[in-house]
Amino acid sequence: MKNRIYIAVGMALLIASPSCTKFIDYSPREDYQITADDYFKTADDYQKMLIGVYSPLQWLWAVPVIGDVASDNSVSGGENATDVLGLQQIDDYTTISVNSYMTEVWKTCFEGINRANYLEENKDKLEFAGKDQVYAQAYFLRAYYYFELVRFFGDVPLFTERRLGVGDSKTLGRTPKAEVYAQIETDLRTAIASLPTTVNEPGRVTKYAAQALLGKVLLYQGNDANPGKFDEAATVLEEVVNGPFSLVANFGNIFLASGENGPESVFEIQYSNNNPFYDWSNPGRGQGNFAVQHNGIRNLTGGSPYAQGWSVNLPTQDLANAFDEEDTRKAITILDIEAYSAANPQYNITYLVAPYKNTGLYNQKYHPRKGETSGQIELNYMNNNRVIRFADVLLMAAEANNRKASPNTAKAQDYLNRVRQRAFGDQEHNITATGAALTQAIWDERRLELAMEGDRFFDLVRTGRAASEIQGFVTGKHELFPIPQEEIDVSELPQNPGY
Amino acid sequence: MKNVLRRVLLLWVGLLWAVIGFSQTKPITGRVTDDKGNPVQNASILVKGTTQGTSTDENGNFKLEVPATATTLTVSSLNFTEQDVTISGSVLSITLQSASGQMDEVVVVGYGTQKVTKISGAIATVKEKEIEKLRPVRAEDAIQGRASGVTVVSPGSPGAKPTVLIRGIPSYTGTDPVVIVDGSIQTLDDLNSIPAADIESINILKDAATTSIYGVKGGNGVILVTTKSGRRNQKTEFSYGGNYGVQEVFSKIGVLNATEYGAMVNEGSVASGGDLIFPDLSILGKGTDWQDQIFKNAPIQSHALTARGGSEKMTYFLSGSFLNQDGIVGGGDKSFFRRMNATSNITYNLSSKLKFTANTSFVNIRGSGIAENSINGVISNALNFDPTTPIYNTNPNVYGKYATSPNILSEIFNPLTQLADTYNKSNTNKLYGKLELTYTPIKNLNLTSRYGYTYTNVVGKSFNPLSYYGAGHINSTLNADGTPRTGAHNSVSEYKNTYYNYTWENFASYAFNLNDVHSFDAVVGMSVAKVTGNGLDASRQDVPFNSWEFADISSATGLATNNGLGAGSFQYERRNLSYFGRINYDYDNKYLASFTARRDGSYAFGPANKFANFYAGSLGWIVSNEDFFNSNLINHLKIRGSYGATGNENVSPQFQRISNVVYAYNLGQNAGYTFGENATSIGSTISSFRNDALGWEKQVQQNYGFDIAILNNKLSLTADYYQKNISGLLFTPTLSLYLGTAALPTANIGTTRTSGVDLNLNYTETFGKNFKLNTYLNFTTAKNEVTETNNGLIAGGNYGIPGQQVTRFEKGYTPGYFFGYKTNGLFQNQAEIAASSAQPGAQPGDIRFMDMNKDGTINADDRTQIGDPFPEFTMGWGLNLEYKGFDFTTFVYASVGNDIYRAYERNLAMTNKYRGVLGRWTGEGSTNDARYPRYSFVDGNNNIRASDRYVEDGSFVKIKDLQLGYTVNSEWMKRIKVSRIRIYAQVKNALTFTKYSGYDPEISGGIFDTGIDRGVYPQARTWSAGIDVKF
Repeated sequence: MKNRIYIAVGMALLIASPSCTKFIDYSPREDYQITADDYFKTADDYQKMLIGVYSPLQWLWAVPVIGDVASDNSVSGGENATDVLGLQQIDDYTTISVNSYMTEVWKTCFEGINRANYLEENKDKLEFAGKDQVYAQAYFLRAYYYFELVRFFGDVPLFTERRLGVGDSKTLGRTPKAEVYAQIETDLRTAIASLPTTVNEPGRVTKYAAQALLGKVLLYQGNDANPGKFDEAATVLEEVVNGPFSLVANFGNIFLASGENGPESVFEIQYSNNNPFYDWSNPGRGQGNFAVQHNGIRNLTGGSPYAQGWSVNLPTQDLANAFDEEDTRKAITILDIEAYSAANPQYNITYLVAPYKNTGLYNQKYHPRKGETSGQIELNYMNNNRVIRFADVLLMAAEANNRKASPNTAKAQDYLNRVRQRAFGDQEHNITATGAALTQAIWDERRLELAMEGDRFFDLVRTGRAASEIQGFVTGKHELFPIPQEEIDVSELPQNPGY
Repeated sequence: MKNVLRRVLLLWVGLLWAVIGFSQTKPITGRVTDDKGNPVQNASILVKGTTQGTSTDENGNFKLEVPATATTLTVSSLNFTEQDVTISGSVLSITLQSASGQMDEVVVVGYGTQKVTKISGAIATVKEKEIEKLRPVRAEDAIQGRASGVTVVSPGSPGAKPTVLIRGIPSYTGTDPVVIVDGSIQTLDDLNSIPAADIESINILKDAATTSIYGVKGGNGVILVTTKSGRRNQKTEFSYGGNYGVQEVFSKIGVLNATEYGAMVNEGSVASGGDLIFPDLSILGKGTDWQDQIFKNAPIQSHALTARGGSEKMTYFLSGSFLNQDGIVGGGDKSFFRRMNATSNITYNLSSKLKFTANTSFVNIRGSGIAENSINGVISNALNFDPTTPIYNTNPNVYGKYATSPNILSEIFNPLTQLADTYNKSNTNKLYGKLELTYTPIKNLNLTSRYGYTYTNVVGKSFNPLSYYGAGHINSTLNADGTPRTGAHNSVSEYKNTYYNYTWENFASYAFNLNDVHSFDAVVGMSVAKVTGNGLDASRQDVPFNSWEFADISSATGLATNNGLGAGSFQYERRNLSYFGRINYDYDNKYLASFTARRDGSYAFGPANKFANFYAGSLGWIVSNEDFFNSNLINHLKIRGSYGATGNENVSPQFQRISNVVYAYNLGQNAGYTFGENATSIGSTISSFRNDALGWEKQVQQNYGFDIAILNNKLSLTADYYQKNISGLLFTPTLSLYLGTAALPTANIGTTRTSGVDLNLNYTETFGKNFKLNTYLNFTTAKNEVTETNNGLIAGGNYGIPGQQVTRFEKGYTPGYFFGYKTNGLFQNQAEIAASSAQPGAQPGDIRFMDMNKDGTINADDRTQIGDPFPEFTMGWGLNLEYKGFDFTTFVYASVGNDIYRAYERNLAMTNKYRGVLGRWTGEGSTNDARYPRYSFVDGNNNIRASDRYVEDGSFVKIKDLQLGYTVNSEWMKRIKVSRIRIYAQVKNALTFTKYSGYDPEISGGIFDTGIDRGVYPQARTWSAGIDVKF
């Protein structure tokens, strides 16, 4: 019996041998991972985080495509009714809440907002020269992402103080659109106060970009019953009009690689083929502009400067007809491949007629061009997205001036006609209308000047003309897109009406 | 051969041999038989009170030198009562009495062994004999249907890992049970390395009483693999087993032939306002059956040579084996699994109190695979590709051996081109085993120190050539003339990964009796475990000549500036520190009790949650050993119950990571940006969420069961009911999308409950002298339910283009259930559309979806449960017959209630279609079957949305094994010293009875992918013949 007790004690001692609990400690450094504990120690860390706030801009490649496909400017096209299904639904006005394009816009904008908020969260960790400008850029970008959300989805969750954590899931509701707009305005005005007028690196946000965006945001809120927003818009846009920008004499040059970040460029989302990427499971999340591949002619061969693509986002005949024959913008905006091929027999062009919803017309402004991509060729086109051009600023300023409480018709006409003079190369086509007719003329001009640049649908909705211009558009429903079903399921947000 | 092996062995352990010798001995020979006079082989003969002894041969004979002073021998054997025999001469005839059925067997449990009679937990066992007969490529095949409580869903791809569920799906983060090979911890992935010839037994620990000694690793159950070893004083026994077979696919999927395809495409085009695409159907004929083109009859063969035996001081088991399985998709060039093994299990008694064990196995595995179970897989391409396209390209001016389709211009392409352009290989070298010292200072006290290890090195390479799928095909990277398209490159990828795992365990076990009726068996110990992995990989573009022969990083010419040269690496480590103890007690072989405790520490959890304790206890009552129990019918009756906890740490530490790369591939996040024409600026961003509160997933399981044997132990039944409750479920939920795109963390979310019944029924009978029958039935049920997910649900099971998700892990449902719309026939006319809930885009002939929430509109809120991929129950039935030299074996496996989601259709206008489309709606009253709506290119109603239209009943009954063997027994064998020859013919997967329209209703995957048929690699039917020889 005694023996057994000894054995039992011995066994217990064996187990109680010094336990090295350090063996199971963990530090992310073991795996060479950086965490916030190691970060925000130098100004460069803040600059790097800021670049990260810019990145999701590139993921918004589909926004300009949606802006035209949803309007009377273009059709979805593609290989057949099941290709680019989300765009087919947008085009056909059969959009449902399961739409990959909507999910991507939603997620991307919120990622951008969270990234901006992460800078906000770590604002007090370090003081350094140029900090105001870092934060001014972040606020601009946050405003940009919120603006996209608001014009796509209306009321959206609003948060500005910190990056959301796991515990914040399912806790937010939809903030009324007006409050979101108020925050956008606040962010832009804060940004304007600190942003420089010139930057060393093209693509960095300038004061003018912030002012132009603010003008646009105000315009989206304005209406004839409450013209105060137009007054504000006219004021802020005036500063951009008087800024260093000019209209590029040759309209077509704007859209060439050589025309990127040119004298007319107020804000451009930068794309590049410098860092080719290959991820088909997340196309459009790299450095290239995935939209460009969509716009291309199928199986195009021959010696032309154009490269082949997927025949998506095809301009409509309606758009083509809207141009005056003398308007130099028509040939720049729309590529009539049959006419082009006939006019250029030396190129020996062959191509596949767009297999679905063919119009024979292609988006020339963003058509793929040879030599402008790399890596996985579909994913890496370098074409910047010209988000706000000076011509847009002029047209916005014209509209604001004509719609404000006490309209400045002369300014409105002047700004409009500066755009038309570039288009026609003469003064013969100047507009002399006033009042509502002038407003209509400005809207018509916006369609022509900015065609295939993704503004048409949002302009039509903003000005209340969507139902009359777009077949299938249901007032009270289609002003907004549906919130992604996944978000509805998880966060239990109310869906937009009609979906 | 025998001499060669023996010589090798002598060299190897030469030193150890020169120890034996007795002063005065006398020779004894004898024969051991059972009560019917049949020889008992491998019976142990020991001189009583010593360790000197031998064991009987195939015919029950033995020969032994015993000390002149010896008076008694102790004779024992599995399934027989131990017997002391007085040495009453130099030739002995010994008859052993059969013990109570199989009940006196000893089974391996965690850190020890236990007599079956004294177990009060739940254990299932598959023995050597079954495994040897089946010759599975992977050991799991041997468990399927043969061990109750285990559900195995086997894949078809050579060597691939199956889904193994022990008592259902308690956890989300992984369902793999832990695998313990001879006491050292491995994973289910490692079971591809163990040849059937090495396995002595597989025990499956199911309830908390048996698994909680493995604490945090035991949550998904434990598979204990025991490999063979030699026996002391046994002369060397060699055995060879060889098998050669041919595999074939056992069914085809009905898709359209060329004429039918042409007609359907015409109809779809016209219905959507287009022109006839094939104006003349009469020229199309049957076209090409692409399934016939990709499936090949493929050989499989295996050979194993083993030697086992032992001397007074040592025992050994040596084996060498080879297995080669070619794939039935594309043949052995493109998919195969080839394994070579060498094993040496040696024990040596360093002194009378110190025993040293070294088990060492080396494995080499070579393999190659094809793309499968995805819309871009070879099978998916065969099912969806244009049947009007001929097989071969006949235009000398166009690149490529195989023809291309002018009709399909994206995603789907000629499967033969795809097969031809598939190039990959991998080569795994693995060394695993254990080193163990056992010190026995006094009788029944063992102090053991064991170091178990697995070292794995994997080297692989793959090559993506430039391919031509047609001039207009968007996936073509070559032009029709064979020149590369602008910007297109081929590429080669190589990787070298190394994994090293070890477990170092020190434990003491002691067995003792008090007053002859209280017997105790205790073990306490500690364990240190480490799992590490690291790898380097690189890829490079521009392989010379677009050729596999030149595909190597060193010969490719891609340059870094263009991303033509890339490299990556990874490393990880997991560490555990654990303490454990167990005490088993029984009173007079009537009342059983056990208590187990384990304290586990894991590096995965935060400082507050580093350690967790797990306890379990069990009770048993052997009713048949009671004095009052007096039944002629019931030979054995035991009632058991257990209750206890285990855990799960299948998670990595969660922290908020800052990523500073331009693009994170696994995440789809970039943090770079290009300002103007500058080189891309690298930014940084948060790429993962942190969760400081991460803690242990805890599983509480109760088990109630009984064992009964009747009719002289001929019929036995083991039955168990269990219930598992999991709390703090480790789970990566789908969180609000507004959190952004950083990787979501794992958290302790929710609870699940699993309950079920395991039954094992066994019947053995001998008719007359020559006819033996053994039959058994296993029955397994598992009912799983997610009872809480506090913070969301998770969706998975992506399929198709655009991707749809069809499976969910959600509160109130079974894990991984199919989620989608319910259908209710077809709209026959406009009036029906008007009369039902609003369904935008619907036309007559479209599917009427059910308005589940009755809000008058069909929308995403109407999605609901449409199926469950996991079976309600599975059953295995085995039958073994022996008559004289002949033996017949059959094994039937049934799975009932598992649904399959048919997801291999690409649904492009011009892709081929499932045959069901021929029965489509063609006008009012033609059909009301929701599976077959009208056919049109434009699907305004979104008929292809995830719905029960694609859900099929995947229940099946498979004759997994049919075998007829003959054991030769004749005089000439003795002359060539061969003790046994058995020849046999075998058919695996002989017949499958199922309603499922696809190849194979067994579709393995994780919780989210099981049962989704994206073009899955089917299991093969295998015809084979083989021979087993012992000498």
